[in-house]
Amino acid sequence: MTNLFAAEPLWRTIDQPVVLKALVAGVGVVLIAWELWWFLGRHGGGVAARESEAGFQEITITVDGGYAPSRIKVKAGRPMRLAFHRIDPSGCVAQVIFPDFHKTLDLPLDATTRLELPSTEAGSYPFHCGMNMVRGVLEVE
Amino acid sequence: MERELARERTLLRRKVSVAAVLTVLVMFSSLPHMLGLHSLPFLPPWFTSPWTQLILTTPVLFWCGRDFFTGAVSAFRQHSADMNTLVAAGTGIAYLTSLFTTLFPQVLIAEGLPADVYYETVAVILTLVLLGRLLEARARGQTSEAIRRLLQLQPPTARVLREGQPVEVPVSMVGVGDLVQVRPGEKLPVDGVVEEGSSWVEESMLTGEPTPVAKAAGDTVIGASMNRSGSFTFRVSRVGTDTVLAQIVELVRQAQSSRTQVQRLADQVVGWFVPVVIALAIAAFVIWFLISGNPVLAMLFLVSVLVIACPCALGLATPTSIMVASGKGAENGLIFRSAEALETAGKLRTIVLDKTGTLTRGQPEVTDFERLSGGVLPANTLLALTAALESRSEHPLAEAIVTYARSQLKDSELPAVEGFEAVAGRGVQGAIAGQQVRVGTPRWFDELDIDTAALKPLVERLEAAACSVAAVVVDGRIEACFGVADPLKASSAAAVAALRRLGLQVVILSGDARRTAEVVAAQVGIERVIAEVRPADKSSVIRKLQEQGEGPVAMVGDGINDAPALAQADVGIAMGTGTDVAIAASDITLISGNLAGVPAAIELSRHTMANIRQNLFFAFAYNVAGIPIAAGLLFPLTGWLLSPMIAGAAMAFSSVSVVSNALRLRNFRPAPLPIAAS
Repeated sequence: MTNLFAAEPLWRTIDQPVVLKALVAGVGVVLIAWELWWFLGRHGGGVAARESEAGFQEITITVDGGYAPSRIKVKAGRPMRLAFHRIDPSGCVAQVIFPDFHKTLDLPLDATTRLELPSTEAGSYPFHCGMNMVRGVLEVE
Repeated sequence: MERELARERTLLRRKVSVAAVLTVLVMFSSLPHMLGLHSLPFLPPWFTSPWTQLILTTPVLFWCGRDFFTGAVSAFRQHSADMNTLVAAGTGIAYLTSLFTTLFPQVLIAEGLPADVYYETVAVILTLVLLGRLLEARARGQTSEAIRRLLQLQPPTARVLREGQPVEVPVSMVGVGDLVQVRPGEKLPVDGVVEEGSSWVEESMLTGEPTPVAKAAGDTVIGASMNRSGSFTFRVSRVGTDTVLAQIVELVRQAQSSRTQVQRLADQVVGWFVPVVIALAIAAFVIWFLISGNPVLAMLFLVSVLVIACPCALGLATPTSIMVASGKGAENGLIFRSAEALETAGKLRTIVLDKTGTLTRGQPEVTDFERLSGGVLPANTLLALTAALESRSEHPLAEAIVTYARSQLKDSELPAVEGFEAVAGRGVQGAIAGQQVRVGTPRWFDELDIDTAALKPLVERLEAAACSVAAVVVDGRIEACFGVADPLKASSAAAVAALRRLGLQVVILSGDARRTAEVVAAQVGIERVIAEVRPADKSSVIRKLQEQGEGPVAMVGDGINDAPALAQADVGIAMGTGTDVAIAASDITLISGNLAGVPAAIELSRHTMANIRQNLFFAFAYNVAGIPIAAGLLFPLTGWLLSPMIAGAAMAFSSVSVVSNALRLRNFRPAPLPIAAS
């Protein structure tokens, strides 16, 4: 197995019934399609932030493997207050970065950390973890 | 945060150790099989049994590798896929296949396949990826070293005078207006103004300027700088987040949180990278199954593709370089406002230098005072009259003349002025002791039909020396003239030479007379002069240069009256004064106010962008080359089957190499200034 060069009989050819081959191919294609839809498709229209008394738009985001919700809808021209609640111990999500706002926020584990963002124009403002693997987006309308 | 990271690193180190020990045992256990032998004399048969390997591998997967699985599952629920997804899927599939073989070996044997297990593959991949993660965490810790070092510059306590007695208090207890005492060799805790005493203070850690600065009563001092020789007391002017040090740290943090244009590309790739890799892995499995009908071989290709792909290298390529570079900039007194500024600075083609305050010190001085042949009044009387009149004016030249006159007259009282009037762009006039006195430009007196013939040769000589000329006229009779010059900063000529050596076109922009600007330009070695530009028109000069295709254009100015031009330029560079860091309109602030920082910033930017390009190239090339090899593209040609273990090792070390390459930027040193040809 650790051999770089595969030896017999590891890579020997086996005659498989056509039905099985067709089945494997079919399942493979379905699996690929489903996986791409699951990870890349649009799921839900995003969650709208709620209005608070002080004129802020507020929302709480749970950090657990990803941002829940990861698509946040806010209105243009109003300041925002985001609360990140991190329950994922992975160091990867210990930071959240809003590149368009030049803001980096450290998120201590099992705590809620708040971030205020100024009002901004309509557009889509992505945010991500320190390694850029976990992502979310602020949709300003 | 720091503590949490340290705790995480300790846990990671423990997991790596446990995984390494178990992996070595698993590898010994699978040694006979790897060597193609039935058994080895020094290994008992129970030790080489698949069941032993299962027992040894299970803790590696479920304890050491637990985070990969929990991470993958929670990411999956959020419709996202990352590194964890790939590692968990790859090792999980290899583990389940081996478990199946351990439980039902006869199924494979009936197909004519060897009943091989791949536990050692699972263990090795997990150990290597964990080790890679540990190395990467350690290296990434070093990227933010600059900020940590800056924060450590502030001493923890200050010696505050309370009722005349020095009391040691924590820095957080120091308030604005407090008096703080500093002894030789001590660091200053906060910002303030010297009240008493004098000393030499080293500000290099904040401004990048190597030479200590003399400080006496009335001078501004900044926290975290180091007092060298004398003792002094200063009154605190700024504490906490208002201090220069805190502002620098905040600006560096902001720059580190922003992203470059080139990163947007990497970002887009990272977004769909993992799902596409999963699709490729499934495709590899299906295709190999169709070709060979051999499910074990197909599974090996599937696992290899999953574990060789490294989205992290792509994600880390730019931010790590930006982190290191902006920290390095701060160390040299160059504060970049954003990653974009760091990116554009290296591409500059034209650099526009404001004259006053940028190339020159910005503090005019009287260099000549001459009485003219037709004059009748003694020198001291003329100085007194001029000083009396000019002390009512707010023009910078007036200030220089008053300072000069006072230094010549010592303490004598200035006469009273009646009917003072400032004539814009011309000069000032008023009546003193029944005489009408005017001080202004020679052109004004030409307009008033005053005979200025005696003045002409002097004006020519003074203007050739880059002096502005102010003539003194008493009762319509020309009496004397002043030559006022703004001396060049010591480093200006060398900095201009350095900029030209970097291949930039250097332009001087000035509101002064063309002749004066040209003389200064010649002194520092600039050929292109744009003079007689009013402050409000400076930004349109920049726009014109951009429209003429000479961009990207940088504007270097003092940041106060140049703000519109700084904002219009592709990169606005503000010359700080050592106390004002956050100059709003600028993209880069040179804390020291030394022009040498401009070539240094451009060099740093070029180094950084080269570093980012290397990282991106490596990360893309690695994945583009690695994935097809892992998918078995070369297998039909060469018989090469990339072992999933090697794939795992390659993945673990690709992100480590990206971070290590970024860390090379820590060795950046600006090139020494060339000897200027002036």
